[in-house]
Amino acid sequence: MAKKLMKGCEAIGEAAIKAGCRLFFGYPITPQNEIPEYMSARLPQVGGVYVQAESEVSASNMLYGAAGAGCRCFTSSSSPGISLMQEGISYIAGAELPVVFINIMRGGPGLGGILPSQSDYFQATKGGGHGDYRCLVLAPSTVQEAADLVQLAFDLADKYRNPVYVLGDGLIGQMMEPVEFKRTVNPEDLPEKTWASTGAKGRKPNIINSLYLDPEDLEKHNWKLKKKYEEMEKNEKRWEEFNIEENLDVLFVAYGTVARIAKTAIEDLRSKGVTAGLFRPITLYPFPGEALYSVAQKSKKVLVSELSTGQMIEDVRYHLGKDREVAFYGRVGGMVMTPEELVDEALKLLK
Amino acid sequence: MPAVIVEKDRCKGCTLCVNICPENVLAMSKEINSKGYFFPFMQNPEACTGCRHCALICPDVAIQVEVKGKVNQKPSALTEKPFHYCPGCHHGIVHRLVAEAIDALGIGERAVGVAPVGCSVLAYDYFNVDMHEASHGRAPAVATGIKRGRPNLIVFTYQGDGDLASIGIAETIHAANRGEKITVIFINNAIYGMTGGQMAPTTLVGQVATTCPLGRDPNLAGYPIRVSELLKELKTPAYIARVAVYDAKNILQAKQAIKKAFDYQVKGICYSFVEVLSACPTGWGMNPPDASKWLKENMVPYYPLGEFKTPEKGVVKETER
Repeated sequence: MAKKLMKGCEAIGEAAIKAGCRLFFGYPITPQNEIPEYMSARLPQVGGVYVQAESEVSASNMLYGAAGAGCRCFTSSSSPGISLMQEGISYIAGAELPVVFINIMRGGPGLGGILPSQSDYFQATKGGGHGDYRCLVLAPSTVQEAADLVQLAFDLADKYRNPVYVLGDGLIGQMMEPVEFKRTVNPEDLPEKTWASTGAKGRKPNIINSLYLDPEDLEKHNWKLKKKYEEMEKNEKRWEEFNIEENLDVLFVAYGTVARIAKTAIEDLRSKGVTAGLFRPITLYPFPGEALYSVAQKSKKVLVSELSTGQMIEDVRYHLGKDREVAFYGRVGGMVMTPEELVDEALKLLK
Repeated sequence: MPAVIVEKDRCKGCTLCVNICPENVLAMSKEINSKGYFFPFMQNPEACTGCRHCALICPDVAIQVEVKGKVNQKPSALTEKPFHYCPGCHHGIVHRLVAEAIDALGIGERAVGVAPVGCSVLAYDYFNVDMHEASHGRAPAVATGIKRGRPNLIVFTYQGDGDLASIGIAETIHAANRGEKITVIFINNAIYGMTGGQMAPTTLVGQVATTCPLGRDPNLAGYPIRVSELLKELKTPAYIARVAVYDAKNILQAKQAIKKAFDYQVKGICYSFVEVLSACPTGWGMNPPDASKWLKENMVPYYPLGEFKTPEKGVVKETER
């Protein structure tokens, strides 16, 4: 398929359709309204269904129903809306259902603002709702990658029967870039989900459930989930290494939008005689900590940059060990750093 | 001669069967069953007319009646598992009516139930169909997801009053207003049963609950919500009925309403809603026959019974109900 110039939000919507998803349940919130708008127009064209829920709480429970019935389904929202969805996400994780959640993050806490942010890293990677669970978290840094990761998200959700986040921000959502959809999945070709509530014809009833009143059963269930998360950690770590060489002066660690800015800063630093590289986690959970560790050995300095006051840096520090110095540069509240700011920070570090 | 067959180990000794028998055929035994309950037996077998009222009201599907060699069958849409509900709780009666409707319409292989948090959250153990447990109040949203994803399934929710009329009132109203082709069974027993008897949105004025120890005060808590009346005002939902299950006549009417509600869905006609006034003897602190009597005398006047709206007639006038 030829490349097409598309807005990030629309590319995300189209990628879901190309992944064989025919169901969207959501509630409007800035800055991601182009996704529900796109789905409301596009889904009926392909025999799909768009439902505007009465709230994000309800949307996440509609997803619980649809996913339990064995249908690929997704939603998109932005930070305060994602907070409201946590009830459903916890149940979806508990009942082991495959659902894709797009979070086009905006600044918080509370109502915060509507401009780009990466302040939901903790919420996405460490649980979010109540209970002992994990969601896979994918973080695109281009519109093309957003489309690719949305398609991957549906596959991973099905593979692990687990909620998957695609974590973007307003820049990824609003930016226009060329996109190519590499494959198209026909929903009828997807493997049958034998565990789903499709009507108990010729089999025992299937039950979609997260309730275990017997503590021994719940403990067993929790360890079973933990085992699944270990599998995800073993198989699904993804990252990009940019401009990594043996003797780096500075290693940037950044994801999503900030990683793009870091790439520009790296080119700029080269012209100033500084060798800089970038380690970009693509999966935020599982975090590619071992790969980061070996790359970090090649660099004098490590500089983490985020659109937060410092969330991913906790994972970076955990993996690099307490003896390794890790510097931080963040902008928050919807403010986004320029490449020059990152260049200045790197030069300051090297002084 | 007709015979009442009691599956004694399913019995919880609620005495509703003894109480309902028009011919005083039944009495409670002096022995106890394996669970420690007294159970009914035919003290006066020759008086039995085979009216089956005892089987109709038994909340534990523990009674069958043989009339002219024919025994009423347990619905196949129920599993064999005994209910966990308290003695005399009306949940068991309504479970049976729902299962009978599923059987009568032959939809067991495409029925999916949604049971949210509340006393009936374990309904997935009892209905012999695909089931979803759901979070508190969200069953209509979960049912929406199932039905929109698989329109051929027959999807029902089974919800209590705290669930449906309090935490889930938004989901309730909006699923009805979107006209989701689902069937909602609403158990209104005017109290939070599972958590131990707290005030519900449907608790009557003056009714004592653990969080209104002096009785519901409308100045503090407002008046009880009449959900059927609320929903009937919406333009979209087309079948709204309120029934009760405290005596044989009402149980038969409830059975009809529930079957109708499912049938409207099977035919793809409309969203359907059946409110069932139910007794919670434990939460109310009464013995089961007294609870049924209290329901009739106190709940029915405030929550009038009947069909409020049908797809054929629209809103039914009060005088026609």
